Amino acid sequence: MAGQGIQRREILRILGTAAAIAQFPGFSKWTFACGHVGNAVLQIKPAVYNPQFFTVAEYALVERLSEMIIPSDATPGAREAGVAEFIDFIVFSDPDSQYAFRTGLTWMNAHSERLFGQRFVDLTPEQQTSLLEPLAYKDKSRPGEADGRIFFRQIREFALNGFYTSEIGFKELDCPSLKMYAESPECPHKDDPEHLHVSHPIS
Amino acid sequence: MAQQIYDVIVIGTGAGGGMAIKTLCEADLKVCALNAGRRLDPEKDFRFHRMPWEMKFRGLDDPKHRGESYGYMDGEYTKAAWEHEIPFTTAPGTKWMWPRCFSVGGKTNFWGRSSARFGDIDFHAASLDGYDVDWPITHDEISPYYTRVEKMIGVASTVQNRPSNPDGSYLPPFHFRCLDRILEAGSNKVGVPYLPDRCAQLTQPHEGHPACHFCGECTTGCDVGAFFSTPYFLLPKAEATKNLELRTNALAKNILTDENGHARGVAYIDRKSKQEVEVYGRAVVVAASCVESARILLNSKSRQHPNGVANSSGQLGRNLCDHLYGESARGYLPQLVGRPPFPDHVGDSTIAWMPRWQNLKDPHEEKFIRGYSVYPDGGCGDFPWIANELDGFGSSYKREIKRRYPSPVSFGIQAPSLRSDTNYVDLDPEVKDPYGIPVARLHFQWDENVLKMWEHSKQVCADVLRASGGVLESSGGEPEIPGFSLHETGTCRMGNDPKHFVTNRFGQTHDVPNLYVCDASVFLNCTDKTTTISILTFSLRTSEYLIENFRRGEHKAA
Repeated sequence: MAGQGIQRREILRILGTAAAIAQFPGFSKWTFACGHVGNAVLQIKPAVYNPQFFTVAEYALVERLSEMIIPSDATPGAREAGVAEFIDFIVFSDPDSQYAFRTGLTWMNAHSERLFGQRFVDLTPEQQTSLLEPLAYKDKSRPGEADGRIFFRQIREFALNGFYTSEIGFKELDCPSLKMYAESPECPHKDDPEHLHVSHPIS
Repeated sequence: MAQQIYDVIVIGTGAGGGMAIKTLCEADLKVCALNAGRRLDPEKDFRFHRMPWEMKFRGLDDPKHRGESYGYMDGEYTKAAWEHEIPFTTAPGTKWMWPRCFSVGGKTNFWGRSSARFGDIDFHAASLDGYDVDWPITHDEISPYYTRVEKMIGVASTVQNRPSNPDGSYLPPFHFRCLDRILEAGSNKVGVPYLPDRCAQLTQPHEGHPACHFCGECTTGCDVGAFFSTPYFLLPKAEATKNLELRTNALAKNILTDENGHARGVAYIDRKSKQEVEVYGRAVVVAASCVESARILLNSKSRQHPNGVANSSGQLGRNLCDHLYGESARGYLPQLVGRPPFPDHVGDSTIAWMPRWQNLKDPHEEKFIRGYSVYPDGGCGDFPWIANELDGFGSSYKREIKRRYPSPVSFGIQAPSLRSDTNYVDLDPEVKDPYGIPVARLHFQWDENVLKMWEHSKQVCADVLRASGGVLESSGGEPEIPGFSLHETGTCRMGNDPKHFVTNRFGQTHDVPNLYVCDASVFLNCTDKTTTISILTFSLRTSEYLIENFRRGEHKAA
């Protein structure tokens, strides 16, 4: 492993000395990114995940909420990125967050029972969405749901952290820090400094 | 057994110490360098090419240890390199963040790389606006040293002819990104400068060092040495002379003095054996960084130096200055919403700057004296922070995050505090570190002048953002707490009058002729520019002055 690291450094050194070998938009950074440490380990998932902090029922709720926050649609989402496992690991590692998660998940189920007579995970997707919307949008918020809004914000933040620090999350954004560059990248719109006329390819 | 006596003992291996070590060794002086921490192993300690998912806590740090972190660089990627054992205290009412890297090379391993020269507008600020005193130096005198340092380390920038910023000799600059072009146009409308920063990141191979590969992770360490750091640029040259002995885990405790009050060496704690060790030299260079240097000198009490060595003026530890940092404005550029991701992150915040534009024609044209600079930044980074600002969840939310990901911009202020009698460092009378040495106690408040700059910057940056077609989201926050910038200066200020200054204009202490200071503690204030390149430059000048004193027989060589 140490040998690989030296080789990687040598490659970078050679690239840096003979500039312009690699052409913008660059080459894959993770080719050199000690991939042997992380990728192999983190991508092997046991068939059934045993949560370290949450109960099985709590974990099912965390999983469902994560998948609703960052769904699998045209691109992979929280499920493929293992976001629920990440949240379990972080909450397990962070005693300061445990009370908020335990009471927050309890609130979600109590609220769900109150509105629909069932636990959150047993609701239809439409019912689940209608429960979350007032928590997630300021202009749809309802009185008496402040605790839920605070908890939703917290679990959403943890889900974002889990998703966008995963390889899948980086690919979702096509994150440019996946690459290295032979030259400092330059704005290609020289005739339009204010960028008033550039087209918007992603809608 | 005869004790070995070195020519020079150098405390610290950061920018100041590293430059002193290299310069002295190359002049054939025998140098013993003391470094409080260990040598870093780039293989293990620089994790900059690891992606977050390869880190246990995704680079977000173990939540249990977040409270121990001293600052923004001190995270999961580099935690092992930062100091956590030696504490410090703050006086009631003082807030101070003090990230310290005791590893060999100090903070040069992770520094921000912005490298502007100080100019006469800084050196002679007191003559212009009547506050405090001038530096005992002119830009003409120091300019040749800056030029040599710029050639040594490689600084990417352009000649800009700005009255507050003397130009130097530069490598090709970073290219402007889309967000720079947009903000540049907005700045022009408002009438403030928007220019390539002066960035010590190698845009082409330089002096045997490879060019940058623009991975954008500089502040977690560069294991090919494509930006200046002491371990890659200076220590190998010193070691090649065979004149250097580098002692690691050697925590300097106090300067040893003889019956004449002259320095004869340094007492340090060997952190491995926990024993106190003495090392002897004909001259001593203190370069432990501003606050730490003051602590060592204040802890050096003797019959001849009852208040700490080189403190007959009573100014040792006084006049602490720092840069106020903060986000003056934040928002996004609709022109970039939905654009393909662009590598905006390749220079951290040092691609562009808005160098001081205030009080240039008339030192009193603003409601504050002196001036500040601004570092704009934004675009695509390692994490879409914008997501936390948006309402929602689900596919529309996920899509909106991707659309907004290239668009955020922010403006960071760098504003100098003014010298004040109430901002200083002394020794805590009660608290000692694990080795029984009194710790540094910080006394510091932002002054009215720097807070006026902060308010001013919020207004101007908001104007620039709006003039750029941007949407302003926030421009009213609090600044960072003192210490955040890592740019503290002024505890051993230089000046001609021994009654008022700790060192003379060459960094030699007035009281002890064979004791020199080679870090930012000799600076009279922190100006609107960053400190590292000036630490290197003043250290080079002091080191050559020290060598000249050896040649003249003032400190007898081995």
